[in-house]
Amino acid sequence: MGGRAGLKGTDGVVEKAKALGAKPVSPHRAEETLNALALLCGGANKTRAEFLTCSGKMGAEELAAAGIAHEIVFDAPEETSAADTIAACKRFAKLGVDLIVFAGGDGTARDVWNAVGKSVPIFGIPSGVKMHSGIFGTTPEAVAKALHECIGGELSIGEAEIMDIDEEAYRRGEWKIRMFGTCLSLVEPMYVQQGKMLFEEQSDEQAKEDIAEHVCEEINLNKELLWILGPGGTLEAVGKRLGIDKTLLGVDAFAGGKQIGKDLNEKELLALLDNYKSNKARVVVSPIGAQGFIFGRGNLQISAQLIRRVGLENVVVVATPGKLAATPVLRVDTGNKKMDALFAKKGYMLAVIGYRALKLVKIDSMKL
Amino acid sequence: MKRNPTAFLKEDYDTLVRNKLDWKIRQLEGPSAPHCKIEGREMIMLCSNNYLNLSNHPKIIQGAIDAAKKYGAGSGSVRAIAGTMDLHMEVERKLAKFKGTEAALIYQTGFAANAGLIPQLVGEGPDGKRDIIISDELNHGSIIDGVRLAKCDRGVYKHGDMAELEKVLREADAKYRRILIITDGVFSMDGDIAPLDGIYKLAQEYGAMTYVDDAHGEGVMGPDGRGISAHFNLHGKIDVEMGTFSKAYGVVGGLVAGSRDLINFAYNKSRTWLLSGSHPPAVAGAQLAAIDVLDTEPQHVKNLWENTKYFKQQLKSIGFDTGNSVTPITPIMCGESAKAKALSDAIIKDGIFALPIIFPMVAKDKARIRTMMNAGLSRDDLDRALAVLEKNGKELGII
Repeated sequence: MGGRAGLKGTDGVVEKAKALGAKPVSPHRAEETLNALALLCGGANKTRAEFLTCSGKMGAEELAAAGIAHEIVFDAPEETSAADTIAACKRFAKLGVDLIVFAGGDGTARDVWNAVGKSVPIFGIPSGVKMHSGIFGTTPEAVAKALHECIGGELSIGEAEIMDIDEEAYRRGEWKIRMFGTCLSLVEPMYVQQGKMLFEEQSDEQAKEDIAEHVCEEINLNKELLWILGPGGTLEAVGKRLGIDKTLLGVDAFAGGKQIGKDLNEKELLALLDNYKSNKARVVVSPIGAQGFIFGRGNLQISAQLIRRVGLENVVVVATPGKLAATPVLRVDTGNKKMDALFAKKGYMLAVIGYRALKLVKIDSMKL
Repeated sequence: MKRNPTAFLKEDYDTLVRNKLDWKIRQLEGPSAPHCKIEGREMIMLCSNNYLNLSNHPKIIQGAIDAAKKYGAGSGSVRAIAGTMDLHMEVERKLAKFKGTEAALIYQTGFAANAGLIPQLVGEGPDGKRDIIISDELNHGSIIDGVRLAKCDRGVYKHGDMAELEKVLREADAKYRRILIITDGVFSMDGDIAPLDGIYKLAQEYGAMTYVDDAHGEGVMGPDGRGISAHFNLHGKIDVEMGTFSKAYGVVGGLVAGSRDLINFAYNKSRTWLLSGSHPPAVAGAQLAAIDVLDTEPQHVKNLWENTKYFKQQLKSIGFDTGNSVTPITPIMCGESAKAKALSDAIIKDGIFALPIIFPMVAKDKARIRTMMNAGLSRDDLDRALAVLEKNGKELGII
């Protein structure tokens, strides 16, 4: 709700936002979503799903407005806060819900994720200022469509990143988006052709395994290189296959058959490269968050300077087909205009999407 | 350990049935003909690959009978050891002549050709530099399986998109040893064709090999049904022209046409060819007769295209969307899966045999009935099929 008041979200500044005339947009967005869902199902009473919700403005009013039957399982106070979101989601998880749908932005996404972790898939109605996390539908209508398909069993559960602004950096006057972890969310199922006109669903997890197999084979074939592994779930799978303790959120280094650096910062990475015998390295990254950034979101350690030293041709992008289905472009925001321009000029990259499987993906120079 | 080693058979099958992804095998009682008897009912066949109705051609049937009488029921061995008869060699010679290539090679099936040849064409060099296959995203499952058996990287380009193919080529150029571009000639879900002229041009520019799977184009495309390469005036220029005798030719068997070097290479390296028994003489005799019929009786291909043109035009004037088809494969777009299934059920009740193609074989909103034309259907047959489609299409709100 802070957007129109010129704030970067309302985390901790709700009162200030209200004083500046900000009005919550979430209830309206939630209502739009629920109305669209009722329409898709052919009536508010035909959704074929059970809705559990919180009292008042935290869900019950919106469901009632859309005419959808629901059960209130959490009593919300008049003025709600993040603590209520967390308490309500814990209650939902305890009751064994299949999916938690919330309206908000990255801040709310983090609250929900903090409450349930990876025990329940979560999905967001876009109504915040920052929406970098990979769990938001693009519009309320798109959310309704996804929910409709989810109820019909047409969507799978996959992994997505929880992203938000780095508050510490923000207090220093820097605008940094970082990754906080991974959660479960709704994804389009991917089908692979098995034989003549027969398709089988392939999970995102399987795709990650296949990508990991490919990357590990490359690492073994190129033992003389220093391998810099970026953050995220796909690279975590690579680490697992290598048999190392890869950090989910950090940048790690691997060479000569072992892990030689963990959660490295820019300086440490540059020093490692300088002291490495061949001075040659490859950087493996995956698109992070909802907008498909391969640099500049959650991996600022891999700076423009480091990329320049390694060389653009030694940047390996890995992405699951599910991720590319949701965001079919790659974006770059290294904070260095020259470097960003080099990527923009390149225009596209061959991303590794499975074992020995490559797909051309466009590099979108537009910043988000 | 105590375990039930075969429990998965039933479990997996039950899952397929539950998700409605299992094949319902339908039985033909009699020949595959324009008018078929299927499970006790007379039907107009609109989904066989027997485009030219050659499986019922008297000369081809006679070719099979004569060869069986002269050479026996079986061939006794794999081709490489003792299973090559003069008859088999004669088919390969005739086929090469018909296709306008130096040489040709017969595989047991089209699938065997793709699964046996593709993996041999690529690999990695002694320096560890790998090869890459660049493949159209809508290529057939047998290509996909052939590619899977190959020890190389694979890149995909957007269906028929030459700009994207060039970008992939540009990216791959320096990194890889050999580059192999593979495409279907005619795409079996939409009935559209590959821009082979564009692919050939790019392949020349980047020094890439070209491989076309023309299963649905052999006997259909180009002058006298000589295939997609002939259609683009590129006969003898595509490195590997792969096709099949099982569709328009009306028999069975895979075929590869290309240079003498290619065939010599395949004779010695292609495992599906080396390790399966050769075709029975009756099959080879029928293949030989089929090539003769195509070469000397142009009316079949002509009828097929006249029927195709009429059927497409009428479908469009009734109000059906027939997608991007330019071949005898004409999809009738229905939208969501349920509509396509309903239309198929309804027309089968009315004696027209054509099946739905639904998600995940095609996109969720692109479910369709796939029809395949036959040269042996009369104008009356087509009008009857069109009337049934119109009536049911209207009732279901598709048109």
